Amino acid sequence: MSEAALIGLFVATVQFGTLVFLAALGELIAERAGVLNLGVEGMMTMGAVSGFMVGLETGSPWAAFFAAAAVGSLVGGFHALVSVVLGADQVVSGLALTIGGLGLAAYVGRNVVGERPETQFTDLGIAGLADIPWIGEIFFDQPPVVYLTVLLGLAVWFVLARTRLGLAIRAVGESAPTTDTAGHSVMALRSVAVMVGGAFAGAAGSFLSLYMAPGWTEGMVAGRGWIAVALVIFGAWRPGRLALGALLFGFTLALQPRLQTFDIEVLGLDVSSISPALLGILPFVLTVVVLVIISWRHRHRPSVAPAALGLPYRREER
Amino acid sequence: MASTDADYAVWLRGIEKRFPGVIACAGADLRVRPGTIHALLGENGAGKTTMVSVLSGVYRPDGGEVWVNGQRRFFQSPADAIAAGVGMVYQEFRLVPTLTVAENIVLGAAPGLLRSAEIEERVAELSAAYGMAADPTRPVWQLSMGERQRVEILKALWRNASVLVMDEPTAVLTPGEAAELGLTLKAMAEDGRSIIYISHKLDQVVAFCDEATVLRQGKTVATVDNLDDVDLSSLAEMMVGSSGGGYVQRPPALEAGPEVLALQGISALNDRGLPALADINMTVHSGEIVGIVGVSGNGQKELAEVVTGLRRPSQGRVTFKEQDVTEASPADRYRLGLAYVPEDRIGVGLAPKMSVVDNAVVRSYRSQRRGLMLVMAKCVQFCQDLVERFGVRAGRLHDPVAGLSGGNLQRLLLGRELAEQPAVLVAAQPTRGLDVQGVAAIQSHLADQRADGVGILLISEDLDELLALSDRLLVMFEGRVVAEYGPDVTPRTVIGEAMAGQVRA
Amino acid sequence: MIRPVLARRERVVPATQAAGFVLGVVVALILGAILLWVSDHSPAEVYERMFDSAFKGTDSLSRTLERATPLALTGLSVAVAGSMGLWNIGAEGQMMAGAIVATGVAMIADGLSGPLLIALMMASGVVGGMALMIGPALARSHLRVSEIITTLMLVYVAIRVVEWLETGPWKDPESFGFAVIEPVPEQAALPGLFGRANIGMLIALGLLLVFWLAVSRTAWGYELRLAGSSPDTARYAGVSLRRKVLTALLLSGGIAGLAGAVQLTGSAVRLESGLSNGYGFAGIIVAALALMRPSGVAVVAFVFGAVQVGGQSIQTLGVSSAIADILQAMILFGALVAVVFFNYRIQWSGPGGESSIAESGEPDLAGEVA
Repeated sequence: MSEAALIGLFVATVQFGTLVFLAALGELIAERAGVLNLGVEGMMTMGAVSGFMVGLETGSPWAAFFAAAAVGSLVGGFHALVSVVLGADQVVSGLALTIGGLGLAAYVGRNVVGERPETQFTDLGIAGLADIPWIGEIFFDQPPVVYLTVLLGLAVWFVLARTRLGLAIRAVGESAPTTDTAGHSVMALRSVAVMVGGAFAGAAGSFLSLYMAPGWTEGMVAGRGWIAVALVIFGAWRPGRLALGALLFGFTLALQPRLQTFDIEVLGLDVSSISPALLGILPFVLTVVVLVIISWRHRHRPSVAPAALGLPYRREER
Repeated sequence: MASTDADYAVWLRGIEKRFPGVIACAGADLRVRPGTIHALLGENGAGKTTMVSVLSGVYRPDGGEVWVNGQRRFFQSPADAIAAGVGMVYQEFRLVPTLTVAENIVLGAAPGLLRSAEIEERVAELSAAYGMAADPTRPVWQLSMGERQRVEILKALWRNASVLVMDEPTAVLTPGEAAELGLTLKAMAEDGRSIIYISHKLDQVVAFCDEATVLRQGKTVATVDNLDDVDLSSLAEMMVGSSGGGYVQRPPALEAGPEVLALQGISALNDRGLPALADINMTVHSGEIVGIVGVSGNGQKELAEVVTGLRRPSQGRVTFKEQDVTEASPADRYRLGLAYVPEDRIGVGLAPKMSVVDNAVVRSYRSQRRGLMLVMAKCVQFCQDLVERFGVRAGRLHDPVAGLSGGNLQRLLLGRELAEQPAVLVAAQPTRGLDVQGVAAIQSHLADQRADGVGILLISEDLDELLALSDRLLVMFEGRVVAEYGPDVTPRTVIGEAMAGQVRA
Repeated sequence: MIRPVLARRERVVPATQAAGFVLGVVVALILGAILLWVSDHSPAEVYERMFDSAFKGTDSLSRTLERATPLALTGLSVAVAGSMGLWNIGAEGQMMAGAIVATGVAMIADGLSGPLLIALMMASGVVGGMALMIGPALARSHLRVSEIITTLMLVYVAIRVVEWLETGPWKDPESFGFAVIEPVPEQAALPGLFGRANIGMLIALGLLLVFWLAVSRTAWGYELRLAGSSPDTARYAGVSLRRKVLTALLLSGGIAGLAGAVQLTGSAVRLESGLSNGYGFAGIIVAALALMRPSGVAVVAFVFGAVQVGGQSIQTLGVSSAIADILQAMILFGALVAVVFFNYRIQWSGPGGESSIAESGEPDLAGEVA
């Protein structure tokens, strides 16, 4: 395997890692506030199509990125309205969001399938660092979204751990009545968390359609929104562990299309002879296996999930 | 005592509040002067909790006025009430178990940026000022009930509440801790704060409080400006509306029958995997009531679960009617004659969303089968018999059981467990939360069963109930049986000390 | 300030989920009309075409029933898990797994007579669906791993396996280089009823009936309901939760696998990666709208079948068939919201509007109020 191929693999690992980390970070915020949102795949897809279309229209990747975040937030707001404000079942609402989001994206984007964007994010060579062999190319010559995502990860960690708002979000995910009677608005906290989470997912979707696979096709998110949902469990609802998990999954996602080009043998089997379709199951099988292993290791301990995850709250219910 | 309206710390005027099918408050009044401890009395369902929920902004009243410190208030949320100086300590604590003491105290009233060290220091200062020890860095799930209550009070003091509402504060405390709480409250009242104290333990009310308001069926029926002027029995009479309504008389002593249930060296873990029971040895004979007393969370729940088969002991042996049933499932034990009225009526004893009939046959559906099919007619018949025998007011038998009142739920549950003549009944908190009639009905059923030769393991937090009914009384503390008392009257103070782990030799 | 608050109604509007569903359909049609209108289509024309193509004449009706068949089966699959409080959102993949195994069996046993081969393929469909569910089911019953994520992940696995089979091992040698699998044997085609409807529909209806009987009239069903609605009560009654979780999920997977076999022998020509066609995902909406009840599944599946047939037909008007997906999700959202408002009313609360005592007459004072 050539050095260039190996570097390419790690560059792609960082990018795929960024993609799933950004989306999972959004889901983490929502779940820490006690709202399960299974609509990540739908929000990402809506972000992908809207980001791509705004990019075509304006020629500005940043305008496209933030437009996608706004759309993601709007779609997330729908989940907040139905499941937080009106208190409907979160699982049902989230699934409907995914199905409806995929349909709406297909409808909205029907006329731009196959078009190519004129401009896209350029890689930011960070002066001095980008020239370091290996490390420079992998970590310091990436598109700006990668660095923005790292900053967002740090920001989410800081807000959750070190601010009044973060304390309230952590509290409302554990016990809504407690947070309510302490004087915070449960509805506001949860709605904001879901909408911010939606923005992250939408932005992640546009990173896909603007940079990683420029263009729009139906179903282009291809299950990576679901991987983001699983990642939150893998990350035990903590941003730091989430980042580690994202790199692991990023590696698998990056490996899958490249494996064929690598001239290596595993257990006497020539890897390049394996069908790309079969290699495509890797990330999904890995997700299941990882979830099972985590649960096996934690089987005697109480769950670390936010205690109020998935439970709607109405104040005067009795 | 002459006061003008503006002098009241709290004035709830003509409060009305309805819930579907129920009127919780029908024009009730409550006036509290500054710097006093005010008892709010009434039976279950009299509207006490609803009144204070209106005061704390949790419920919006359907009618009436809320005045706090001389100002009319329209609370839209708990935040508004907190801002107006109302602090609330709920019966079921409103604490986040995974957060630290300091984080719980400042929740909702924290600075924008949290500097843990600084906050913990300020919390420590506050707790020292009122003589309430609390380590600010510990997560709340590690604390005892008494410590959690201190955190709740500190939460209100952190916001500098001028009115503190305490809902049944001593239910989870040992008698010693309760006395300590009394001192804390007095100190706070001397600070000029007002305390509204909800309780039905009248002896404590008389000891702690200055004045009282009595509610009955959602209305204020009496106000007492000076509690020194009234005696216990007249307070009780005001609450109930007629005299009486005490506990069922202690049944006459019977000749103890053969041993039916025995635990030998039982140890078990709780849900968190921590030790909950340690080396428990006890027996229950037929025709006797063995009472288990203790502050909640000292292993009573786990004990009931080990006996009934819902929890595997880590060590030891459970013998029932001379058979080793340590490995037997709950259903097998029931078939052998071991019945169970669990502490959680809804959610364990009964499935709330299922119908009355479905709930009636939880224990016996296996015998209502014909082949694979469940014979509905037989199920309905079984349920109807139960409802009649135990006086359950059940409405439509195919409606969800959740629509029944607490007393009727308990009658249904107890009736179901007794339907097939068990040899032993484990009853956990069987009268908690019931009104006077309900309590009396359940207690007399227990006494009748004892007379019929059933061995009863009665777990309760109500010491009076246990003293009235039990042939023997075992005290549990930190997962152990620390003391046993016979049928002779034992001073409550001695039992209270044992509940706190201090056993007199 | 006057703010709106949701207050539980004193008397719940005597409306059922059925009314919620109807309202959901109405809301979805209105929102869909707006969407069509802003994208320069005539809603009236589009809806008329959709309605005609789904209901006008026996041929149209048979197309609706043809589509409703897999929807009823996947809806039932989701409902079986749902009655235990579990979510099988991988019916899409289990359909594929069922179709894969059925195809494999058909390749080996293509000498059998029609009825025998069909029966064998149905059975292998069930086996295939269950096989894909074994992992998630065991992980859920023994390790409490969320079945939501594991079942979903395996959808992608199943679809990729079909893609692999198409390009490699099962590639039809007579396909002139196209990556397709050989068609199922002719004698394995499900007998037709009328138009495009086939006996797959009767299989679906029969299963719905059997499931309804099993849940409401057998001890097994009683245990399932008990375990689903109140797990601790079930444990107390001596029901093994693990076994119930396992059987419910495996049955759910098996029914979805059967849906794959029915689709393969009923409507499709051969196994291909588009065979499941979103039926598995739509089944989730069907079951949710039906509140996991078999009778509801039948009705909702029929309506959704019509929406999908309609969605196909409007492509000739230049309208994207994605409208059908949007409408289905909107029906669910509309019904969710409608049911909330059946049970709650908006109360305007504030200094001026706080007293709404005018409502209701003399209420009873009964009941212990905690």
